[in-house]
Amino acid sequence: MNITHFQTEFDKIHTLDHFIDTIHLKRKEAFSKFLDKGLPTKNWEDWRFTNLSAISKGEFNVPETIDELESSLQIEPYKIENVNTIVVYNGHFQKTLSEIPNEVKVLNNLDYINLKSSVIQIEEDSPFDLLNTAFFNGGVSLIIDPGKIIKTAIRILFIANSEESIMTNPRVYLDVGNDSNVTFVEHHVGNAVSHFQNTSILLSLGSNSSLDHIRIQSNSYSTQSIANLHIYQESDSHYNFTQFASGSGLGRTNAYVHLNGEGSNCKLNSLSLSDEKQHLDNHIIIDHKVPHCTSSQLFKSVLREKSSGVFNGRTIVRENAQKTDAKQSNKNLLLSKESLMNSNPQLEIHADDVRCSHGSTTGELDNDALFYLRSRGIDVATAKSILVKGFVAECFAMIKDENIKLFLIDYFDNWLNRKKIYDY
Amino acid sequence: MLTISNLHASVDSKSILNGINLSIKSGEIHAIMGKNGSGKSTLANLITGREGYEIIKGDILFNGESISEWSPEKRALEGIFMSFQYPVVIPGVNNTYFLKAALNAKLKNNGEKELNAADFLKLIKTKLAEMDMDSKYLQRAVNEGFSGGEKKRNEILQMITLEPRLSVLDETDSGLDIDALKIVANGVNKYRNSERCFLIITHYQRLLKYIEPDFVHVLIDGQIVKSGGKDLALELEEKGYSWLEV
Repeated sequence: MNITHFQTEFDKIHTLDHFIDTIHLKRKEAFSKFLDKGLPTKNWEDWRFTNLSAISKGEFNVPETIDELESSLQIEPYKIENVNTIVVYNGHFQKTLSEIPNEVKVLNNLDYINLKSSVIQIEEDSPFDLLNTAFFNGGVSLIIDPGKIIKTAIRILFIANSEESIMTNPRVYLDVGNDSNVTFVEHHVGNAVSHFQNTSILLSLGSNSSLDHIRIQSNSYSTQSIANLHIYQESDSHYNFTQFASGSGLGRTNAYVHLNGEGSNCKLNSLSLSDEKQHLDNHIIIDHKVPHCTSSQLFKSVLREKSSGVFNGRTIVRENAQKTDAKQSNKNLLLSKESLMNSNPQLEIHADDVRCSHGSTTGELDNDALFYLRSRGIDVATAKSILVKGFVAECFAMIKDENIKLFLIDYFDNWLNRKKIYDY
Repeated sequence: MLTISNLHASVDSKSILNGINLSIKSGEIHAIMGKNGSGKSTLANLITGREGYEIIKGDILFNGESISEWSPEKRALEGIFMSFQYPVVIPGVNNTYFLKAALNAKLKNNGEKELNAADFLKLIKTKLAEMDMDSKYLQRAVNEGFSGGEKKRNEILQMITLEPRLSVLDETDSGLDIDALKIVANGVNKYRNSERCFLIITHYQRLLKYIEPDFVHVLIDGQIVKSGGKDLALELEEKGYSWLEV
């Protein structure tokens, strides 16, 4: 999408009511910074292996605001048992279709920003966050007061559907109060003809709080998805992130975890499943700013056909972040000769009393294991599928909610069985 | 049951087997002994159908049919089993899932009813008891974190569960302490009957003390240079292999 078109779309949204004055300056500032930077190119170190041409060459329009859809919208196909679902359609919060649990405050972003005043940060280095700031709409923000243990998971279901080419910039603020405990599911689905989705998710974890964050990217291949995650952790907080990505033609997750409070820990697990010409990309930064924090990353990919992927994980241990314990692991399984994975785990350590490890493996199915299974009478296709299941098994381990786990195992099985691509 | 006739085979164009003749009938236990590099494991791999081995001359017949074109799974379904020298670790795949898949593949092939989870569990528990194995085994991933002895026990457990007619035991005694060796041997001896036969591949006579073979063959440079009864194993233990080398 060329700059002129971004400008046209930006001018268009000025006229919309919900863009109120208080944040207008911020938007303008963000947009002008975005224009200065432009979309990343392959000359940018962090974007070397990411081909953004589907975004830079496309023309996407900000969809019309529809905050109250008629009930025609089907959410049944995306049902997960025993989960409270908040619906966002083409970037707009759908109150009437949403189940809002009592213990949670749900606001639109503007009310949230008013409440918190000066919460909009300008992410200088992240053009897609700048773009999101320039374009985000009413959206949805969640506040969980201190001391709430929320048993039922809260899901935001992002549905995109359009006959024309659209750009959405959903933004979610989620504040988890001190000593609170919640599971948040971010579920992306839909079938827009062409969709550029640029999400910014900002999660704040209060002291001693716990957040399980599950991200399911199962939107159509006609979606180009950029997910920008910012996680801010206070002392003794626990952040568990599990991602299942099989959707989007181009899917890129940029996660930045700020370990701001002592004793906080984060675990990030991810499984990317790609085929055709998909490109699924994860860029993770874990920033240990204070002592006594732990972090672990386990990123796995299974690649079929001509798909490609990137893992770029950087763990930063700041000078005073002594007693840091950080683990980083990237494992990739290539199921075709044409698939390609770039893996780049990095440690950047400025403290001396720390324990850090990282590792990366990329390979095909183990022939010895395959022979072992076949020698027990299991046919080739089944044996391969057993091995792929074995490879991904640990990705499900962190999900405590049984309904969500079953949903995801099913989701994985569907992916595995939907093609018979095992000849390599 | 198994007839190997004039078998010549190579790996990476290097000839390893140079005319093997061997016939194993139902109920018999044959032992093949030989030093490292004599071709013992190549023979085992050719019987079970591992890729990378080329038959240049001769054939392997199982119940009168040539198996050289059969896939490994077809051989298994027809009743050929190998206890691996180095059982493979398969992370993320638990033993229950794996063994149930294998058993059901076999039942399906035989036109029998596949077992459901409960029936399988009942069956496997009796087999575990026979091998003196803990039921925690069922939750563990295939061979993951298993000691040498546990891995070999697991091989024999699979054997007595899948009920093959020909079992090839490739260096099953290696890495076993004496207790594990007895358990493994006991498993084999209980499984032994007039319908089943064994080919035991081994370096040492040790295992043959516990599993008595009917025939012992000595393999040197890809050829069987001597065959005899179980006493031949004792003789080898005493004299080594050099007296048989040309």
